Amino acid sequence: MKLEKIKDILQAEVIVGADDLQKEVKMACGCDLMSDVLAFVKSGSILLTGLVNPQCVRTAEVSDIIAICFVRGKKPPNETKKLAEEKNIVLLATDLLLYESCGELYNAGLPGCSEYGEDF
Amino acid sequence: MAEEKRVTRVQELIYELTVSDVMKEDVIAIPVQTKMSELRETLRSNHISGAPIVDGDKLIGIISLQDFIDWLAEGQSDCSISEMMTVDVKTLYIDEPLVNVIDKFDKYGFGRFPVITRRGERLVGILTKGTIVEGLLEKLAITRREEEELRYRTNSIFENIIADKINMNLQYTIVAQDFQRAGGSASGLKKTLKYFNIHPRIVRRVAVATYEAEMNIVIYGNGGEILVKIEPHQIEIVALDSGQGIPDIEKAMQPGYSTAPSWIREMGFGAGMGLANIKKCVDEMSLTSTVGEGTHLKMSINI
Amino acid sequence: MKLNEIVEKLNLEVMSGANKLDNEVKRGYVSDLLSDVIAHSQEGDVWVTLQIHQNVVAVASLNNLSGIVLVNGRYPEDETIQKAETEGIPIVVSKLPAFEVVGRLYNLGILGVADAGGV
Repeated sequence: MKLEKIKDILQAEVIVGADDLQKEVKMACGCDLMSDVLAFVKSGSILLTGLVNPQCVRTAEVSDIIAICFVRGKKPPNETKKLAEEKNIVLLATDLLLYESCGELYNAGLPGCSEYGEDF
Repeated sequence: MAEEKRVTRVQELIYELTVSDVMKEDVIAIPVQTKMSELRETLRSNHISGAPIVDGDKLIGIISLQDFIDWLAEGQSDCSISEMMTVDVKTLYIDEPLVNVIDKFDKYGFGRFPVITRRGERLVGILTKGTIVEGLLEKLAITRREEEELRYRTNSIFENIIADKINMNLQYTIVAQDFQRAGGSASGLKKTLKYFNIHPRIVRRVAVATYEAEMNIVIYGNGGEILVKIEPHQIEIVALDSGQGIPDIEKAMQPGYSTAPSWIREMGFGAGMGLANIKKCVDEMSLTSTVGEGTHLKMSINI
Repeated sequence: MKLNEIVEKLNLEVMSGANKLDNEVKRGYVSDLLSDVIAHSQEGDVWVTLQIHQNVVAVASLNNLSGIVLVNGRYPEDETIQKAETEGIPIVVSKLPAFEVVGRLYNLGILGVADAGGV
């Protein structure tokens, strides 16, 4: 699913990476604990989380996550934005709760990490 | 030699790529209300020999040139397309790997497969042998560019080194409790490894293991160091700290076991997955620790 | 919808509170940050999380949540189960990640907020 479409479904604001919305994500992961993200996420995912600290971007960077969408109206601090720009990670922000965000995307056909084939 | 490598890359791609990577998204679908007499014009103006039939965005059938010919032969009564379409449509899911798809082309002998979502069975694209070949060629071109770039970079590092044994040592200093900078070593290492000719999958494993080890030092370790040794056959990472130490290593290795205070958990760490994650990523690991003195974690990943 | 219907449809494993499965699930909430759950979840929510620490029971009991769904096949610690039994909080386990569990709950009609002003 293209980031553009995810942005529309979640009525999200683009915080970093407005030029990268044509990128394709393969699956999504909704999680607030970074170790679990690192353990389960596969490359090419979008991470939905309520955490806005720079470690989200670090986690995305090391595990090849393409984009992060912050939920429930949370806006990332400048350190997080700066790091995302540097590491080429797209940041979105939605007012929806994590629950709605997962529900809407799943029902629009975006798979989760367990449904998506083998790891790469 | 180069030829052989290309072939393997194609085989790899067939496993790596999924339907969504190569399908054609702007599929011409025909609404179920369409009359058979209108079909000819749709096929002709779009230069297609068949099309999926939809009710809204839900796939309910498929119509081919053969069905059209049958209809002509039957005397062209102006019936709805739904009476002539094939209802038992063989479809592909958007996330299926190409290797499955190729089997299906063989098995059914069809020229095209509509692509649907797993849930809702919405029509999202169409796949023909032609789109697969186009997709593969495009990815191969990208791979080749990347390989050439990599070769150039790697060569520029090593081409002037003459030695019986080459290894490169990197050292990163980790500051305790510094959550802003935490992860910088893993990030730096990942970036550095891009200049060597190492598979992205291996780079990712190294980065995840290093990141977890680094976070442990930041949280529990009272600061420390990460030492990396890059050799042609493996990468070794040693994480050292002089922190509180681990009283029960066996327990600490269990997924979900954690001694982290709640503020760490609120930061998104301390879920007790760190060491288990590391184990999953590396080929070998050894962990020794003395309470009150510190922890020594050695990991190695084969290239 | 009652919790036991969800248990059945999502193929969940019951770890505690087996006698409380007729709890009515009004909405859902998903988060791994306890402070966030305390602040934003509402009475009757089913809570999806991967936190297995016994504090989850305290949070669920505090906000009168209808149950806890642990994800990624993470089983609760023994202390968590004991505490859940004492407090009468159902804990159930799913093998799926949170994203998929929530997607399926959403499919069953368990939505996230009662009304637009609820957040």
